[in-house]
Amino acid sequence: MAASSYGLIATFETPAALYHAAEKVRDAGYKNWDCITPFPVHGLDKAMGLRRSIVPRISLAGGITGFCTGMTMIWWTGAVDYTLTVGGKPLFSPMFAFPISYELTILFTAFATIGGMFFLNGLPMHYHPVLKYDQIKRGMDDTFFIVIEARDPRFNLANTRTLLEQAGGTEVKELEA
Amino acid sequence: MTSQAATAPAALAPEAANASAATKALTAGLVGLALTALGVAFSPDKHGPVMSYLVGVCYWTAIAIGMLLMVMIHHIVDASWSVVIRRQWEHGLAAFKWLGLLFVPLLILAWMKPGYVWPWMDLNHPLHGHGTVGADVLYQKKSGFLNLPMFTGMTAGFYLIWIWLSARLRKASFTQDADGNAGWTSTNRVTSAFGIPLAALSLTFAAIYWMKSLEYHWFSTMYGVWFFANCVRGALCSAVVIMVWLYRRGDLKGVLNTNHFHSIGQLMLAFTVFWAYVTFSQYFLIWNANVPEETFWYNIRELNHDGSTNQWWWVGLALLFGHFVLPFCALLSYRYKVTHHIIRRIAFWVLTVILVDICYNTLPALKDAHGDAQPFLSLNLLWVLTSVLGVGGVCVWAFLRSLGTTKLIPIRDPRITECLTHHE
Repeated sequence: MAASSYGLIATFETPAALYHAAEKVRDAGYKNWDCITPFPVHGLDKAMGLRRSIVPRISLAGGITGFCTGMTMIWWTGAVDYTLTVGGKPLFSPMFAFPISYELTILFTAFATIGGMFFLNGLPMHYHPVLKYDQIKRGMDDTFFIVIEARDPRFNLANTRTLLEQAGGTEVKELEA
Repeated sequence: MTSQAATAPAALAPEAANASAATKALTAGLVGLALTALGVAFSPDKHGPVMSYLVGVCYWTAIAIGMLLMVMIHHIVDASWSVVIRRQWEHGLAAFKWLGLLFVPLLILAWMKPGYVWPWMDLNHPLHGHGTVGADVLYQKKSGFLNLPMFTGMTAGFYLIWIWLSARLRKASFTQDADGNAGWTSTNRVTSAFGIPLAALSLTFAAIYWMKSLEYHWFSTMYGVWFFANCVRGALCSAVVIMVWLYRRGDLKGVLNTNHFHSIGQLMLAFTVFWAYVTFSQYFLIWNANVPEETFWYNIRELNHDGSTNQWWWVGLALLFGHFVLPFCALLSYRYKVTHHIIRRIAFWVLTVILVDICYNTLPALKDAHGDAQPFLSLNLLWVLTSVLGVGGVCVWAFLRSLGTTKLIPIRDPRITECLTHHE
């Protein structure tokens, strides 16, 4: 049983109860845990101690890649692979490579943003252990949950259960993996 | 009892502080105007100080137009996050009537000495290398638009439009503080619906008349949009300066949160890219088409007649990096956008570079004996600074005077709660 345990799930009735419980779990030093809410609860990211997403960095990397791709492509095609003088212009100038580079910057930034988001949040996800919990559908209606995963280094079945109960969680249940 | 005694002087302090700051601003403004006037009176070449004065008026008018646009855009999209900031912009709109007054000397000069600032006003004005303005086919074709009565009437019209729109927006917003009638918000939405196209057209034609027509041979359909981009950037940066100032003084403490700074920082980033897009498009299309009637405008900003590079080439590069690359990279950072002293530094920097951009677009019209553009680093720059101080002092005085007359934030705006709880 313990070997196949995914973790513990606790139920909370109000956003405020969830918010304060999240602060307690955060302060207890847990890392592998999450909140399940029917709607976005403002400030919950702070209460959970989450850092800002790193998606913007992935976007920036995508943008720089796009810009360099545009410049390189125009330079390669116009000045190396098939040289052709048009309108008395030089074979390569950043001037006429800018519109393409600009477009590719935006395109690659968009790809990197969408791709980075899906990579980080693990979607699409066809199965998750909490789906086995028979009450979980209430998490889409009027109930709030905290799930602490068994792989968290601080996880201990008895202590973690006590923490969740002290934090105000009702119906603390063990989840199958 | 004790708490009352403790808070009463603190509540009075801002008004006294506003009044004293307003006096200082007006003094600085009058000193700046007096110095510029001395420059006009005693400078051997009076063109420099006069043109610099035009730069000063255009710079502050641009910021005021930006504020007018931001207030109207706020209303037309029914924005909630910026309600508190909108009130600060509304105070900024008080500067328009003074800006209109400060433009009058230029109009008087245009009538007394046609062609002194804008060469096309004098048909006998000699053109460098060929004939006069009156015999120039490019002038003749444009003379329906470029003539002194049209210039005067349109300039008066622009300021009247801006003053009128500002008065309507301010009256509705300030009255709402007193009576709490949500109908004033609808009134302002209607004002904005016709005000935005009016302001867009007037700012475009103002930019063409006041700055672009200094070199009337030139063609660019991007010019109005370029001016618009600077107007909005100026308004956003001014707002950041005002927000940090009022926050630090305590007025807006507990009113503004991190997300207000993040949101306005995002707009600053967006308009940095917009400015670059527009300015590059103008340069790129002219570079690509390579038509002499258009390329000369950039040529005089790069080369002297003997082919040597002049100072304006460096100013152009400084604009590329200082007006785009640097603010763009800085504003990508979340931390920079929400850290008060950093976002304020970026705002001051951009406000400075907007001035350089306006100089770049106007001052090379001043020529030396060879027909080359007079250098950027010259006595003219001193007159630019005195003019900016002079006109700016008056604008800041008008802002501070208005600031004391109303509630600090629009407490009865229907969206005020959404603004105070602004979140990502």
